[in-house]
Amino acid sequence: MTKLTFALLIIIAVIFLLPFYWNIVSSLKPSAEILRYPPTIFPSQLTTIQYDRLLGSSNGVFLLYIRNTLILAGSTILLVLFASLLAAYAMSKLPFRGIKIIFLLILSIIMVPFQSLLIPLFDLFNKLNLIDTIPGLVLVYATFFMPFCIYMLKSYFGSLSDSLRESALIDGASELKILTKIYIPLSLPAIATVIVYVFLETWNDFILSLVFTSSNTVKNVQVGITDFAMQRFTMDWGVINAGTALSSIFPIIVFLLLQKYYVQGLTSGANKE
Amino acid sequence: MPAIILMAVFFVYPLIRVFVMSFQYWRVLKGAEFIGLDNYAKLLRDSEFWKSLWNTIIYTAIVTPMIFVPAIALANCLKTTTRRTRILRTIFFIPVAISFVSASYLWKWIYNDTAGLLNYLLNLAGFIRGQQSWLSETWMARTMVSVMIAWKTQGMTMIILIAGLQSIPQALYEAAEMDGASKRQRFRFITLPMLRPVVVLSLIISIAGSFKAFDHFFIMTRGGPMKTTQTIVMYINKLAFEYFDIGFGSAVSVVLLVILFIVSALQMKLGGYKND
Repeated sequence: MTKLTFALLIIIAVIFLLPFYWNIVSSLKPSAEILRYPPTIFPSQLTTIQYDRLLGSSNGVFLLYIRNTLILAGSTILLVLFASLLAAYAMSKLPFRGIKIIFLLILSIIMVPFQSLLIPLFDLFNKLNLIDTIPGLVLVYATFFMPFCIYMLKSYFGSLSDSLRESALIDGASELKILTKIYIPLSLPAIATVIVYVFLETWNDFILSLVFTSSNTVKNVQVGITDFAMQRFTMDWGVINAGTALSSIFPIIVFLLLQKYYVQGLTSGANKE
Repeated sequence: MPAIILMAVFFVYPLIRVFVMSFQYWRVLKGAEFIGLDNYAKLLRDSEFWKSLWNTIIYTAIVTPMIFVPAIALANCLKTTTRRTRILRTIFFIPVAISFVSASYLWKWIYNDTAGLLNYLLNLAGFIRGQQSWLSETWMARTMVSVMIAWKTQGMTMIILIAGLQSIPQALYEAAEMDGASKRQRFRFITLPMLRPVVVLSLIISIAGSFKAFDHFFIMTRGGPMKTTQTIVMYINKLAFEYFDIGFGSAVSVVLLVILFIVSALQMKLGGYKND
């Protein structure tokens, strides 16, 4: 890399980070200063008043949204891990006839967007009394985020040597024991990919939560922020900036901690050619 | 097997139902009535459907090059792994981690016409005078939403392209260099053909994503002005959950499903998912 390219890249990087800077700075200004023109790039005083207003409004409903989203993400991660570890193990190590069917299902879920199934899903939720419940949303998340995870775990299991499993079988270990005692400990990087992928997908979901939830005890944080923005007559930019900053911190931290695994998982498909 | 049960109940069943429902007329509280192809006939005549489809296509055409030009350039600059490039890659990838909702509000605030950062900076630099409104005119709104999406999603494309570039065997370049191939020739005859499958793959993922656009237009323009930025998913959402026109909404969903199915079938064919 030449010095010139590097300098150019630094400038682009600054531009890339500018929206985040502006978001945080705006959330730390007093209300009167936020709407002032020309805007103050470096605010004269920093205050947490916007966060106090955000967290204080409607009996702390924003913290409730955060809590809901954490529960949604956590439960979905557990359900996806449970179901996709079993499925991936069965698909890569046990010869049985159902494998083709599962593979077809996985492929078609990847190909069919859930956006086109909102109406029948709503109808199904209605029949099962799942509308506006956390379990309902978790089940849909798990269904649509699982295929990628099964696919990834399956190719990871496929790369592990069969001799491990065979010698364990000779020693009399059950398949379940082999999965939990041998395969899972060996697959921690792939499991980390599942965790960060499912966390980002559920935390950042908007349309599913918008369609299937309506009460404050179930809504996720993305729908919560739009409520703050749209229920009032004028946009309260102080509160919106505080809400956006708070809700973005979670996925950014998870991403920064686990980025190696996330990027590995995303690019494993690209490298297979 | 828990995975099969989940997929059967929440995927296969709704998938069959959406086709069935698209042949039905739904009356509030009275249930459904079979009406054959009437919903599809209505769809062909429905100007709002064609408008939404057209908006989605135009948006895809605008946003795709906006994502790929910077992604290709950045991937090319950052393909070797050093401490510097790793930090830069992370910075360019961070917007991928946040939600479309957050990104939309971040940029809606930047685009704000009375106190926005963009107007201020452009005035400061002398490019414009006075306060420009960025989201209230059709083509400007489409472009500015696309700028936001390029910022938000190009990191994903960049990372996939970097992986593709790194998988090209170094020996090929060395052999070409020994044979006296210039830098441009090496790019033209090694990089481009070797990278083609990865580019096609990420192109199709990106196009499929644009067809599913909802969050950012819902928040930044609400489909306006005059429904000219209303996407197909927004239309489905409105038909089903505001107008309760279930049968017709299902017919529009089937159209979206078929379009995306074709796009992804292309992706499967051109590489990626194989049963091995």
